[in-house]
Amino acid sequence: MPEWSGFSYIVTNLARFIRPHEITFSGVNSALPMLACLLAKRAYPFHFTYINVAGGVDPSPSKVPISSSDPLLAEGSRAIFANEDFYDLCTRGRMDLCFLGAAQIDGQGRTNVSCIGDWHAPKVRLPGGGGGAVMLPTARRAVTWRTEHSLRTLVETLDFVTAAGGMHGVVTPIAVFTKREGRLALASWHPDASLDEIRDRTGFAFAADGAGPTPLPTQAEADALAALDPQAQFQHDAAIRLR
Amino acid sequence: MSAGSSTIIPLQELAARVVDGSSLAVGGSFLHRGPFAFVRELIRQGRKNLELVKQSPGYDIDLLCRAGALARARAGIVAMEGNFGLAPWYRRAVETGQIRLEEHACATLTAGLRAAAFGVPFMPCGGIHGSDLAALNGWQAMADPYGSGQTVYLIPRIAPEFAVLHVNEVSEEGDARVYGTSHWDRILSRSAARVFVTAERIASSASFRAQPELTLVPHFLVEAVSIVPHGAWPGSCWPSYEVDYAAIEAYLDDARGTLEAHLDAAPEGRNVAHA
Repeated sequence: MPEWSGFSYIVTNLARFIRPHEITFSGVNSALPMLACLLAKRAYPFHFTYINVAGGVDPSPSKVPISSSDPLLAEGSRAIFANEDFYDLCTRGRMDLCFLGAAQIDGQGRTNVSCIGDWHAPKVRLPGGGGGAVMLPTARRAVTWRTEHSLRTLVETLDFVTAAGGMHGVVTPIAVFTKREGRLALASWHPDASLDEIRDRTGFAFAADGAGPTPLPTQAEADALAALDPQAQFQHDAAIRLR
Repeated sequence: MSAGSSTIIPLQELAARVVDGSSLAVGGSFLHRGPFAFVRELIRQGRKNLELVKQSPGYDIDLLCRAGALARARAGIVAMEGNFGLAPWYRRAVETGQIRLEEHACATLTAGLRAAAFGVPFMPCGGIHGSDLAALNGWQAMADPYGSGQTVYLIPRIAPEFAVLHVNEVSEEGDARVYGTSHWDRILSRSAARVFVTAERIASSASFRAQPELTLVPHFLVEAVSIVPHGAWPGSCWPSYEVDYAAIEAYLDDARGTLEAHLDAAPEGRNVAHA
């Protein structure tokens, strides 16, 4: 039976949000969601439409690029469905699942990707608005990930609300949250972690009824990820630690 | 705009048309098909006080900040991407107040550009509700005057003086063709007052007439063109070449002289040196 690493935990649990017959999107600066979409294409026995920021529509890239906006992600594509197209698709309510980055996430699933500290005198200037402010409130579901699960990433109060509307899901190296009645609730945790550890390392209060250890990766999921990252280069570059 | 071979001019002359203080929209996305040789040429010519307009700048904005050429930016998301994370000189420039940022979502910047392209003073944009960006930028919301009950944010027009794009092929007359994704180049070319193109190579007018659907920007929208092979280096230009990650890693070195060495190592820099 395959085991989890921090890397496989995030990629695979992002992939598990993908549903049959839906339209799923991965964007810039999003290597882990890109891998999740490619994993789902290999591991799951259902059809879904994968579109990406390189304009790809169900592409068959000859290799997996380091940059998740690389035009390689349109190799073998059925169309070039470029930036303006997928944003408009989202705002008119046709984007089923959208993977969006975040630096800080609060208990309502709102995100900050703008700054640490005051916007006008930031301690850290972060990448900025990106897709979030428009896609988070308009996508049917949005899911984010953090490679660091800590009190500074999962916070009670955001330094700046870049995007509201509320994430449907959040995946970290040790936990999976899903939205329940407007708040993020714990869905499951890494078998090497515990509910107490998740509470200690999360800055917002959350419900955990029904939560338990995350089911281990299936052989199909593990095989798909191994095929996408045969030299474990992505796993190495992502440098994800449980704690 | 003139047609004919006078449309094609050397890169130095093309860059010289962008004067200090100009607002410049830059094509491509992150490390992909940006007019990076053009941006480097602006730096070689000592341009100052520029405004950059782009949904997803990275290497280009970092370079302009590092060279002290930029005063303002209107941007959606800024990063080097790949495994490089944040754009360090851009980050420092914002944190120290060296440049003034107007932070957008990619789609709000596009809405502002669409207003310019459509010839109207503002453009509705979906989403935004609950985001601090609205108050930060003074964006107004409006109730649907036709009674749907929806409230929609209105983004003011963004009309750059210049757009510069790097494309795969141009005709002698300045028609521009792109393979693969167009990123945001189409709306940039329709919103700017003056459009410049750098291209990997010339293709025959007959080839454009044979497949007009591949033309992203027709010649009458293009003021001038330069032929710059490898003009998107160290970024990619699909399908000709991929990202030169080693060159970007070398660029990110903090050591004195790195920027100059990087400019000298660029393909167009070597051409200048040999000329």
